[in-house]
Amino acid sequence: MNMIISRRELFGFAAGGALLHGQEGGQRPVFRIKVDMVVLAFTVTDNKNHYVNNLRPTDIRIYEDGILQKLNTFAEGAKPPVLVAEDGKTQPLVAGQKDPATGLERPDAFVGTNVFVLFDTSNFMYRGFVYAEDAIADFVRGLDRADSVALYTFSRNLSRASGLTRDKSDAISGLRKSVAGDDTALYNALLLTLRDAAKVPGRKVIIVFSNGPDNASMVAPDDVRAVAEDEGISIYTISTNEVNKDQISSGVLRRLAQRTGGKAYWARTWQKQVEAFEDIREDLGNSYTITYYPAPNPNEGFRKIAVEIVSDPGKKLRVHTRPGYRPSRTL
Amino acid sequence: MRALSTPALYAVAFLNLAFGQNLDQIKRLEATGDINGARAALLRASEGSPNDAAALSRYAEFLDRYGDPATRQVYTRLLTLQRQKGDSAAAAVTARRLTALELENGDRESAVRSLEVYTTLGGKKAQIGGTPARENWPTAPIPGPLRSFARMAAMPADTTSEEILPALARNIVTSGYQASHSNEELEQTEFLKLIHRYLSQARELDKMAGEKKAIEVQSCEAPNVAELLRILGFRMRGGCGSDVVLETVNATRAFLTTDSGFPLNDLEQALRTNRPFRYDYRPTMVPVLFGPEYWVAGREKEKEPPDFLETFIGDPAICRLYLGFSKLDSETADALRKTAPFTRLRVYSHVLDFFGGMFEVRGGRAVVPGGQRSAAMWTELAGASPEQGGAFFDKLLAKDDGWLASLYDALARIRGPVRDYLVEPARMKRFYTAVRGRITSPGPARPVFRSNTDMMLLTTRLRLDSTGKPHIPGSLDVWKNLFINNPQAKYDGKLTRLATSWKEPDDVLEALFALSRKNAENEPLKIFMALSDLDRNRPKPLEAPTVDRLARSFRAYGSQYSVFSESRGLSDKSIGQFLDTAEAINKIRDAELRSNVAGVFDSLIGLWQIFVRQQTVPESQADGAFAALTSAFSQIRNNRELFDAGRGGVKTLLAAAPRGRSTATAEEPQEQVIDLLSGASSSDDAEARDLVTQEIMRILEAQRIVSLDTLFQLADHLESISKGEKLNNALVAKLTGRISEIQLPRAALSAVEKNSIAFGYWTEKHIEDQRRLNLRSVVEKAAGDAERLRDARGLLAPLMRDTLLAYNYAYYAPPGSQILYTNPVFVRSHDFIGNQGANHTWRQTEVLGSGWPSSAGGRLVGSLATLPYALAEAEQNFLIPAQTQALIWSDLVPQMILSAKIPRWWNVTPSQVHWVGLHLRYGRELLAEGAFDPELRAEILDQLSILAAPVRTREVGRLLEQGSAKEAIDRVTPSELFLLARELAGKRRDDGSCLAAEIVQLAQSSPREINYDSISRAFGSPKPTLANSYEPELMNLRTFPTLMGYSSRIMAESWESNTLYWAALADELAVRPGELNVRIPEWTQKLVEHIFASHLEDWPAVLKSLRLVGDDIRAKTRAASATEQKAALQEFPLR
Repeated sequence: MNMIISRRELFGFAAGGALLHGQEGGQRPVFRIKVDMVVLAFTVTDNKNHYVNNLRPTDIRIYEDGILQKLNTFAEGAKPPVLVAEDGKTQPLVAGQKDPATGLERPDAFVGTNVFVLFDTSNFMYRGFVYAEDAIADFVRGLDRADSVALYTFSRNLSRASGLTRDKSDAISGLRKSVAGDDTALYNALLLTLRDAAKVPGRKVIIVFSNGPDNASMVAPDDVRAVAEDEGISIYTISTNEVNKDQISSGVLRRLAQRTGGKAYWARTWQKQVEAFEDIREDLGNSYTITYYPAPNPNEGFRKIAVEIVSDPGKKLRVHTRPGYRPSRTL
Repeated sequence: MRALSTPALYAVAFLNLAFGQNLDQIKRLEATGDINGARAALLRASEGSPNDAAALSRYAEFLDRYGDPATRQVYTRLLTLQRQKGDSAAAAVTARRLTALELENGDRESAVRSLEVYTTLGGKKAQIGGTPARENWPTAPIPGPLRSFARMAAMPADTTSEEILPALARNIVTSGYQASHSNEELEQTEFLKLIHRYLSQARELDKMAGEKKAIEVQSCEAPNVAELLRILGFRMRGGCGSDVVLETVNATRAFLTTDSGFPLNDLEQALRTNRPFRYDYRPTMVPVLFGPEYWVAGREKEKEPPDFLETFIGDPAICRLYLGFSKLDSETADALRKTAPFTRLRVYSHVLDFFGGMFEVRGGRAVVPGGQRSAAMWTELAGASPEQGGAFFDKLLAKDDGWLASLYDALARIRGPVRDYLVEPARMKRFYTAVRGRITSPGPARPVFRSNTDMMLLTTRLRLDSTGKPHIPGSLDVWKNLFINNPQAKYDGKLTRLATSWKEPDDVLEALFALSRKNAENEPLKIFMALSDLDRNRPKPLEAPTVDRLARSFRAYGSQYSVFSESRGLSDKSIGQFLDTAEAINKIRDAELRSNVAGVFDSLIGLWQIFVRQQTVPESQADGAFAALTSAFSQIRNNRELFDAGRGGVKTLLAAAPRGRSTATAEEPQEQVIDLLSGASSSDDAEARDLVTQEIMRILEAQRIVSLDTLFQLADHLESISKGEKLNNALVAKLTGRISEIQLPRAALSAVEKNSIAFGYWTEKHIEDQRRLNLRSVVEKAAGDAERLRDARGLLAPLMRDTLLAYNYAYYAPPGSQILYTNPVFVRSHDFIGNQGANHTWRQTEVLGSGWPSSAGGRLVGSLATLPYALAEAEQNFLIPAQTQALIWSDLVPQMILSAKIPRWWNVTPSQVHWVGLHLRYGRELLAEGAFDPELRAEILDQLSILAAPVRTREVGRLLEQGSAKEAIDRVTPSELFLLARELAGKRRDDGSCLAAEIVQLAQSSPREINYDSISRAFGSPKPTLANSYEPELMNLRTFPTLMGYSSRIMAESWESNTLYWAALADELAVRPGELNVRIPEWTQKLVEHIFASHLEDWPAVLKSLRLVGDDIRAKTRAASATEQKAALQEFPLR
């Protein structure tokens, strides 16, 4: 669930919802369902697995639990987002100032993607450490200028080697300072990265670069995945292991990626790792990002999202996105 | 934190109008915690009468008492005014205080000037020592920058050159070698191999750096680029220019390059932009204790001249000897070095490393525990007289593989009547003989951690009765019986035989000393310590039959005994009742019911502990409530009875606790419980209470907990239905709605797929049963059968278990609480049974299932006895180190977190917080004055030696002598400052210190509120392992070393400085006491994240982090306060 920019004054339902605690009208804090803007990223491919580009807002329909949603903004790849009017017409957002129409505090935040690279520096990665650094450095260098990147490393704890920045050199410098060793708490680290990413406006993805096995996490992968789903953050995983070597870990990574709108790769060699990063970069460059404020929906649980391509009545195109989210509750 | 509030500003204006009459009002402002208001009033008063020295003095002293940064400036003005007025006596006092403040701030020049003024004005002749000079040992070079070497050798980035070799020695001893798979030799670990490889690479780079000692590359096409990249293990991809990318060509070298922090990115940028690259590559010169030659002794005849560094890291015994020597003060180290040859010391290096820290030679003589009285016995035992210090310690090291040295160490660590008792010569010999045994090898220094931990615990925690004899819980007969007729097994055949003739307490002690030498679990000592601790604060010791039962039940229920320490007035009968109930619960055959009964019972006892500890339940009610809780669970046969007992338990607790500020009605038990957990019974601080309440509620919500109100209403409703009332659909829907939100744990296998002996089977069944609960259907099926409808409330018992359990979890939730917010069934997954065949119901809380993706995340297993620790342990890896990852200590951190979560400050007054602040500031003042007052210095060092090791005491003395008060203060912990002030404030109350005067005055004016017992309770730390109690307490302990068998928990519990430091900080920043309940956990999280420690006992790293975080909070709070004040003044300008 994305609570990127609060705009409760415009949408009365945002602060409505279930009374979960205490007495009505009393002074005690109550929990309410809170739904602000949803950011949804997706890619569209044809039957040959080629990306389908140049779709327009009018080509796309978004449903939540079958309820048609009204698009707020639309963007393709790293292009600046445009505001979508009632009639489907678009107009550019002005960067650097609050947009009166959308209420967005930082429209420029929606330009490009915020990429969080989570690099496993635990004992499991010891042997391939330097090659992995090279592959990540190449990936960071090749990101679009509009993209921002943060470089986190982890073993038993998380380390913020480099905060979110558009200066790729900063990120590579942080990467080159990482220290190897210790246990692997992949899902703990991923959760903390999600928490950081959730605070950032705009489109966000996390790229996990790891050997795969986890021997120290306290949280379950599927609980972490649920957070990613709710926050609308896609997770891409690159495992330096073989897909069949550790089937539990492989299954977990695959599920994490699929359910959040990302992809999973198994890349033992440096070359494969570079290819995986290329593929991710391509995915980012060919994705669509739309935002919308959900129409009233009594469902307080998981809300299913469906993306329909209007111009594809034969359903030949494939849309790759997250399946839905759960609205959050706040005091 | 409170800035100058608008009402305070009005108060200032008002006070300013009629200052003369309002000193009392200022005092009142101060007493109620409105420090900013009081400060502003005093400022106005002094500004209103610029020539009034008394007004300025009041203001200056006020600032001094609160550690305000403007203190020095105002004292300077005051001194000028006093001198102008010719008040020499007062001016001398001010000049002396200024001198101390300037020394505290490291402003030596100003201090010298102020001291001159002081003596000119008639003050005692005094002098500040010369510029600090260190012992200049010869140095040895380490190639490359210090920072790179420190990274490779796992040392903090800010390690100084003096600290390098001791730290390196320690890391090599602990992590450099491992047992070989193929033979008995030790082999190098990957850590040490990497250091060797790094040094090799660094030498190549050093050679390349040449005479200039700098690696220089003029441009991308420079001839030396290829060579540099070869050494670094990289190559260029793409031609010179913007396409250049450095990529790995030699993985081993490249790893060293990045791991050592070589500025590869800068090099790459320089190559891309074709700009020069320069990297300073001077070797680091590190001082070597006694000079490098001492350590390469015996290798001079080798063909190649021995390289100090290679010799050093190539021999773990040399490293250990170096480490041992680094723990000695210079006089002691010198005496030992001169007496014993290097080769012999190398053999006993392990003993010196573990037990040498308390060795002390003064004026050539060894300082031995017991002094002159025991000197002859030490001579007899060691084989050399303490009169010859070096020879004595040489013999002590070589004796019996470390047993005597370990006794020396244990006795030297303690002071007071217990030590006097233990060093009585005949007794000391007797106990030494017991601990030494007949076969001395392997000695206590052989393992990685010192092995005879129990002896140190025994000597530290032993108590003497009013008769002067050791306190033996129960009676001597209890212990005789325990040794003779132990229900489990014989502890020791010989001791069992001897026990028949025991006549006095020393017989028991002798047996405990004898058992201390064993590596195996020392159960009798644990029982002895636990029961002694139970007696410690009780007005009446436990009766012999109770002690006997507790001793015999220790193996099964020992983990629960800390519960009995919560209330000092818990009766023997209630304790017995608890054990009866525990035994009855064990007999419940239905595992699911047993799990639920244990869960509800344990959760209620947990709430009772919380309420008693934070004085929500008054001491007078504690025993009654405990007895009622325990007796209600002694005969549970089904879930309906469990529900009734649980509900009765909640009622009992709420009846025993005054409601205070809680606005909840009797129909809102959940709100009442939460209010009480959030300090409603005693605190007026609604803002702080709200924050704590919200935190608890968020956790309950994240865990999808069913409200106690709903459960009780449903139970009542079922009763009403049984009497003919119709089903209340809305009420049932409330429950159904909540139940629908409960998810199954996201594990690879479902409960159905698991079998009953699998990990997690019972917890998942517990959750699955809740998900399936359909109350409406149950009511319909009952078809009006009153008894079946009443039974239906039993279905709510498992839900009630989780609700009560969740209160405990939420109360102790560590800062951040990532697990509780992410895993929605974390509380429900608590496993009270554990794996089949290993009954965990009464064991300590353990964390299981971490790092196992198929297990649905980690969960807690066992009783709630150590819940706060287990929660902190589970959460610790979510803390994000500020420097380098993975240096968070696994045992120290949970203890620090629980020390921030268990104590609550709802009952603390601003004066108590201020009193602690005054102590810490007065401790600093004393140390600073010690720099120019030799008599005081001697007194300070004497006090400091009670807690600090001789080497640190000596170092502080040396620094003070040299006038480096700031550096000396940096080496003293907050708990030591507190103790210094405690011991000296009363004695020196007339010395003109406004801090000492205030300490004494506050204690006299409010003796019930301000005394050392109440401060210990308020600002001490809980010590569940060391003292078998969660009651916060200041024990004024010397910090323990890492001990085998207890991991480092005892070591962590002996650190008492954090809360004292936070209290002093809160006093300085005018933080309300109630606010501490929110701030201290936050501050502690920051503290942990900023610790960069290189080893387990790295207390200076903790101290450094504490001060760093404190300074940061200070700066931010003052900046925010200044902004707020400015805004307030603009809004309400004073006229």
